[in-house]
Amino acid sequence: MKKIFYVLFTLLGVSLILAPVAKAQDTYKIGAAIALSGSIAVYGEGFKKAIDLATEEINGKGGAKGKKIEILYEDNKSTPKDCVTAVRKLITVDKVPVIIGPAASSNFMAAAPVAQESKVVMLSAQGAAPALTKAGEYIFRVFPSDVLQGKGISDLCLQLKYMEVPIMYVNNDWGLGLKNVFVENFKKAGGKVTDEIPYDEKKTDYRTELIRATKGNPKAVVNLTYIVEGSVMFKQAYEMGINTQWICGSAAKAPKLVELAGKAVEGIIGTYPVFSQETKDYQAFRSLWMKKYGDAKIPIFGEYNYDMVHLIARAIDQGGYTSDGIRKALFEVAKGYRGVTGDKTFDQDRGVGSEYGVWTVKDGQIIDYKK
Amino acid sequence: MTFLLQSIFNGLLAGCIYALFAMGLTLIYGVLNFVNFAHGELIMWGAYFLYLFMESPLGLPLPIALIPALCLTILLGLSMDRFAFKPLRQANRLTLLITALGLSFFLRNGAQLFWGAELRTYGFEIKRGWKIFNISITTNQIAIILTTLVCIAVVYLLLHRSRIGKSMRAVSDNLELARVAGINTRRTIRFAWIMSSSLACIGGILLALDTNLQPGMGMINLVKAFAAILLGGVGNIWGALLGGIVIGFAENLGVLIISTGYKDAIAFGIMVLLLLLKPPILYGSQD
Repeated sequence: MKKIFYVLFTLLGVSLILAPVAKAQDTYKIGAAIALSGSIAVYGEGFKKAIDLATEEINGKGGAKGKKIEILYEDNKSTPKDCVTAVRKLITVDKVPVIIGPAASSNFMAAAPVAQESKVVMLSAQGAAPALTKAGEYIFRVFPSDVLQGKGISDLCLQLKYMEVPIMYVNNDWGLGLKNVFVENFKKAGGKVTDEIPYDEKKTDYRTELIRATKGNPKAVVNLTYIVEGSVMFKQAYEMGINTQWICGSAAKAPKLVELAGKAVEGIIGTYPVFSQETKDYQAFRSLWMKKYGDAKIPIFGEYNYDMVHLIARAIDQGGYTSDGIRKALFEVAKGYRGVTGDKTFDQDRGVGSEYGVWTVKDGQIIDYKK
Repeated sequence: MTFLLQSIFNGLLAGCIYALFAMGLTLIYGVLNFVNFAHGELIMWGAYFLYLFMESPLGLPLPIALIPALCLTILLGLSMDRFAFKPLRQANRLTLLITALGLSFFLRNGAQLFWGAELRTYGFEIKRGWKIFNISITTNQIAIILTTLVCIAVVYLLLHRSRIGKSMRAVSDNLELARVAGINTRRTIRFAWIMSSSLACIGGILLALDTNLQPGMGMINLVKAFAAILLGGVGNIWGALLGGIVIGFAENLGVLIISTGYKDAIAFGIMVLLLLLKPPILYGSQD
């Protein structure tokens, strides 16, 4: 019995030593610290599909700077602590110069200083918190900041004549950041925020928060929520017979929300950064997706992840496989670059702009909202 | 007014579930003298076992699926004892505590491996609740309250009217003395695990019916149950029942005054206060 163990251990050791050597430097490695387990794994699976699709496409066309690119996935387990661990591992063990950062602003912001200190480029494809790129010059995002979205939600409320609304939000960097921008804009425009209700993630019971939010039967409630929390909440609101117009942000706009909460989410509306789905690039992306995955159900933020991988590959191609090369080249390759999510030109804060649209759920489908 | 009534009702609901968890937890504490941190995972696995039998390919209706789910949870509880805790019967409390924590991680990640981290439901149609005195009540919620009452009655009868229950109370009072008096302690311990697992399974299923299934569902609520048993006096089953309901009320009524962001802090606040003050009323005699 003991002998078998020794043999197994030796084999394990040998394979650990050999594995990296065998594949060394055949490819340009890109780190990806995304959520493959934990509370927001529901997003992570979609990101991985989009990233894989882009990688396959790039490699099919010869890769970047003469070599194929390879994505090294590292599960960030959806917690800030494990995000830091994952990013640190990618930097110190795998020595990648560029990392696809974790989703959820609090997770990303926990890991961003690690990348910045090690001078490794890290990008976000869905981080919206206004403070996200403040960590430093190595941190980029291909997703628009919530400064724009907060104003978008405020404008939507005004447009629909909801002048007095309570606001519920996920108690983390993203929720708080977006809430602040919303409140600021809404008050400036003459609106009144009747109550502010922060709530924790991952809970199974939000009834108390819901009754507090709907105290005095407001006509509309702004709810900055994620897929999982949103589905639990809207279900419980439905059971409780709450009748109000829910107004959400972009993070809840997902087919998964409808799948989980069913008719409870009928009629909710929300804002989201829009890009035209009529462009040639988008059509090409969609047909590629169909070919690889057999359906047109593109997961939330999938397009942004796809664009991000293309930008990284271009930056490696132009600036070389070093973090400073990539960092400098990112500005150049992104300038005027039109991906499937539109113009990706980085501003001085290493973020991008966008337009905002309004979505709603009708008959179990997420569609554009028309008044 | 409606707001207040609804909060009281929600408090009662949360309290019922915490009470079921706390009773199971305190039963094991009473007999074996350690806190089973893996109790939360018994809750979660109980709920997932039901899911297993209700989903395809089996697709059994709820009342039938309940039976194998309950049996499997009991089996899990018994194996927990047989393989993890029994070899450590003579070990000190810290060893037991760490074992229980390890087991908790193992079982939670096991469930995640099996079913994934995503949220699941039993797939019942969502229904609007009824309006009674202007507060909304769903069928599931009535089921929760009724089931809790039935569980309490059964536990009472078992503990106070049956021979095995009496010997359990004796073991809980003093293991050595009970053994000397000729009580079969092994059998008694096994019985405590069966009761604890059943309560966990039922509580988990009720919680999942009312909300959702998630591998972390047991863990979050276990902490509340823990606060409940501290409140009720450790090892005291009726104290645990009362403690659970008090915590449920405190949480749901507390947010009328303070921000909802601190909802979870209420249970912990109570726990810390109790540990600091140790009021003699709560730490009096057992049962």
